[in-house]
Amino acid sequence: MKAVQDLKNAVRSRSIHVCYVNVGSCNGCDIEILACLAPRYDIEQYGIYVHNNPREADILLITGGFSPQWEDKLKMVWDKIPEPKAAIAIGNCPISGCVFNREGTYLDPPVSKHIPISAEVPGCPPRPTEILAAVLSLAPVIFKDYERKDE
Amino acid sequence: MASSIIWYLREFVRGEWISRFFTVKTPPLITPPHFRGFPILTGKECTHCLACMMICPTPNAIEVLRTGDVWNPVIYPGHCVRCGMCVEACPEDVLSTGVILETQKAEHTSYTATFHLTIDPVLCKRCGNCAVACPVNKEIDPYLGGTGTAFSDEVIMRISDGEMRVIHPEKCTGCKTCEKTCPNHAIRVARVVEGLQEAGE
Amino acid sequence: MKKIVDVSLPIGPVHPVFKEPCRIKCVTNGEYVTSAELELGYVKKGIERIMVGRPWQEVMFLAERVCGICSVIHNYVCIEGMERINDIPVPDRAEYLRVVLNELDRIQSHLLANYSYCYTIEHETLAMYLLNLRETAMDALELITGARVTCSYIIPGGVRFDLTPEKENTLRGMLDHIDSELTRFVHMFKGGSMIALRSKDVGMFTREEAIESHSVGPTARASNLDNDCRLFHPIYKKLEFKSILLDDGDNYSRIMLRFLEIFQSTKLIRSCLAQMEPGIIRGGGIIGEGTSKWSGEAPRGELTYEISTDEFGRVKKISIRTPSIMNIEACVHYMLKGVDSAADVTSTYISSDPCIACNER
Repeated sequence: MKAVQDLKNAVRSRSIHVCYVNVGSCNGCDIEILACLAPRYDIEQYGIYVHNNPREADILLITGGFSPQWEDKLKMVWDKIPEPKAAIAIGNCPISGCVFNREGTYLDPPVSKHIPISAEVPGCPPRPTEILAAVLSLAPVIFKDYERKDE
Repeated sequence: MASSIIWYLREFVRGEWISRFFTVKTPPLITPPHFRGFPILTGKECTHCLACMMICPTPNAIEVLRTGDVWNPVIYPGHCVRCGMCVEACPEDVLSTGVILETQKAEHTSYTATFHLTIDPVLCKRCGNCAVACPVNKEIDPYLGGTGTAFSDEVIMRISDGEMRVIHPEKCTGCKTCEKTCPNHAIRVARVVEGLQEAGE
Repeated sequence: MKKIVDVSLPIGPVHPVFKEPCRIKCVTNGEYVTSAELELGYVKKGIERIMVGRPWQEVMFLAERVCGICSVIHNYVCIEGMERINDIPVPDRAEYLRVVLNELDRIQSHLLANYSYCYTIEHETLAMYLLNLRETAMDALELITGARVTCSYIIPGGVRFDLTPEKENTLRGMLDHIDSELTRFVHMFKGGSMIALRSKDVGMFTREEAIESHSVGPTARASNLDNDCRLFHPIYKKLEFKSILLDDGDNYSRIMLRFLEIFQSTKLIRSCLAQMEPGIIRGGGIIGEGTSKWSGEAPRGELTYEISTDEFGRVKKISIRTPSIMNIEACVHYMLKGVDSAADVTSTYISSDPCIACNER
């Protein structure tokens, strides 16, 4: 059984489907995620596929500091992602609210109040290489021996 | 026909092809030296002037803390937006990021900041919280009364004759402690910053 | 008995083609779109409310974060508007450097818009080429300012860093690279018969409709409506700027116009570099009390800041008008009407280069 499990781990760490959702960011982090697709960074050579479909995603990238419209919707998106799953907060906004976390704002950071966040990438916005490194370092940890975790 | 099948078989079982299929093709990317990262300490002595905290545009991104006997700025990633303003504002070059410090030396650029206090007499209820909280006041007159009255004339502000009076506005360091403790948002600190450059050569 | 039912086709808020959340509700007859409606409000942050009571060094960073794609123009217009309050003089070199940075930002924004369009019509090869070319423009921005997206470069009375001769040479090399590569890609775009099939005569937008819907920027200029704010800017006048106009008003001409504007931008940067003389880059100056209104041409169209400040330069009242609000409404009410298939709905929507973060702030 161990060989099968090892194979599963190896395959899972090389096939990561990513969905990103913008819950009130300024676009800065979104375009840096988009820049990861560029041939220079080439996110697909690591086996990471970006599409915006939560139903086939493994990792949810969250940008933005949580605007009130997403109160129920983010939970819905999160529930649609099949197990095993993980959420990564990209940029300062989901971590602390960045420059928007002040008197008079509509935002309600941090996002970890609403769904469990596995990793955070600080920066406003983070470089594509930093985002890439975060996804790559998180994936093997989250998906390793997923079946055994239930036991 | 047969030759093409052999060609394809040879093409697919090539070791080079398999290694290229399973490994990463793009070389690891390096961050260019001129990129502004999170500010790092240069090791020079911090004089605790708080210029970095005063210019920082982000809430809770930088704090000057004391460890043992030395004061040093601490940057909080997750709050810091990596603008590099603290590096430019610091008079002692304690912080550094990217090539900002070298550029600033070469171009003789600087920021000057002045601070102004305004008290709205309608909103102010003369509680004296601001005078008590002010760290400069505390240093000048340690025996400052709990109601904001002081015997010293050297304090920034105090309550006298039932009014909150600003006596020495020029001593203000712009820390906004008074603004935070004011229950009515009556006292406001304005940080007026000017970007300057000495005409070189 | 065959019965034709009117179907409401909702797209969004999480959808593969959308970079940002919004919802388009199309009323369709089969797949033919008869009318469409837009639902916004997913990324409202209340930036204008946060800005009140803050001096320029904080407002500048907030203004930049109104929109991450066109952050430079927000910084530019906000600071120029504040300078107009006290007539703060700006050194010539700084003025040119601002234009250089603004045009670089326009290049990367237009490339991103065209990338999204090509990606939406499933021409992934060209899309990836354009996205890779955009990295060159981002490198140029990083070279000058030290940051890729939120540059925070323009301050009252000047700019933060100078452009050294070595950096200027590297920048020239990057511009040549952009020009030569883009010529190839534009050729690909013009020659692609499938692209023409997906883009020509789709999402028609006439000049009359453009005037009626007050649309701005490339969306309006592709329908032969000239309202480029750069025509009235003192530095662009020195550079003898003339806006580009196309008159078809379909998806193809909107994308083509952006390509042409990229060439124009590289030309503008080159003439800036030629006209620039060595000198100081910061003149100082303190913002005082007053009111001003100033517009600039963002990559998506006219951007207006109306600012009033108190005696210490803190913002008392600020109102921002961003270009996308007009363009999105124009797109939804005029372009989407009469679109033949659901696939064309997304591509037409992307061709108007919408920016939701700008809209809602």
